[in-house]
Amino acid sequence: MAETTNTLSFNNDNLNAHHGNIISCSFDEDAQILRWLSPLEPNNRHQSVRTDRFAGVGDWLLETSEFREWRGSEGGADKAVLFCPGNPGAGKTYIR
Amino acid sequence: MIDSLCDQALDGSIAVAGLYCDSLAQKEQTINNIIGAILKQLVGLGDIPHDVRKVFQMDRRFGGRGRRLGDSMRMLRTAIASLPQVFICIDALDECLPRYLRDLLECLKDIVRESPNTRIFLTGRPTIRGDFQRYFAGVVVIPISPNMEDIRNYLDMRLDMDEEQDEAMDNDLRADIVRTIIDKMSDV
Repeated sequence: MAETTNTLSFNNDNLNAHHGNIISCSFDEDAQILRWLSPLEPNNRHQSVRTDRFAGVGDWLLETSEFREWRGSEGGADKAVLFCPGNPGAGKTYIR
Repeated sequence: MIDSLCDQALDGSIAVAGLYCDSLAQKEQTINNIIGAILKQLVGLGDIPHDVRKVFQMDRRFGGRGRRLGDSMRMLRTAIASLPQVFICIDALDECLPRYLRDLLECLKDIVRESPNTRIFLTGRPTIRGDFQRYFAGVVVIPISPNMEDIRNYLDMRLDMDEEQDEAMDNDLRADIVRTIIDKMSDV
């Protein structure tokens, strides 16, 4: 990993020196920073959950007073965390 | 959940970061990568904040050994402070390695204490409920069990599709299928 990163930054410097293409370098650095922050890509998983989800599933939860209270941020720091326990297959992932 | 919150986020007043824990990817799901993934979603929408870029460049200068958790948490606090309201959603917490789970709960506790504009939504098997109550005295709990109405609607839709293709399907078989599946689901 460290090796790849070094090569990338070397190329980056090269670009800078030879072409002065600062705009594309800064884009390049932005992408590197995002990768450096985390190799995890939660958006990919989210897209597949979203595709498989069936309309209306879990709507009941959004109507509960517990959810509204948590969502409405009136509960203060004490009520900042909402935990939904459920057995495997209960549908926790697919609540919209 | 993420999408419901995002619908309300379109006016820019709230930001939502989500994460799915996965027992198959435990090696990558270190506490630093998890906090980094939340941060990535919060800063990835606009310009990368100056403090994040600076820590990145410093890390580069010292050979890219990676940043400390303290750096990640400091950057996350700053990113949250720059937004009106932040929702963090983490699914399947129990699939996180136990040693990271404790660290993660500790980090989330710090975030809630120091950033009152944060709301955290977590799911997991009921077995980790005890851990929660130790870390968050006021945690709001809504147990999820299979919703029979949801399941019946879904089965109806799938069986309608099947009926067009399969001649063996009739009302008796249909009722049989629905009854069997609902019975099985009651055990979950």
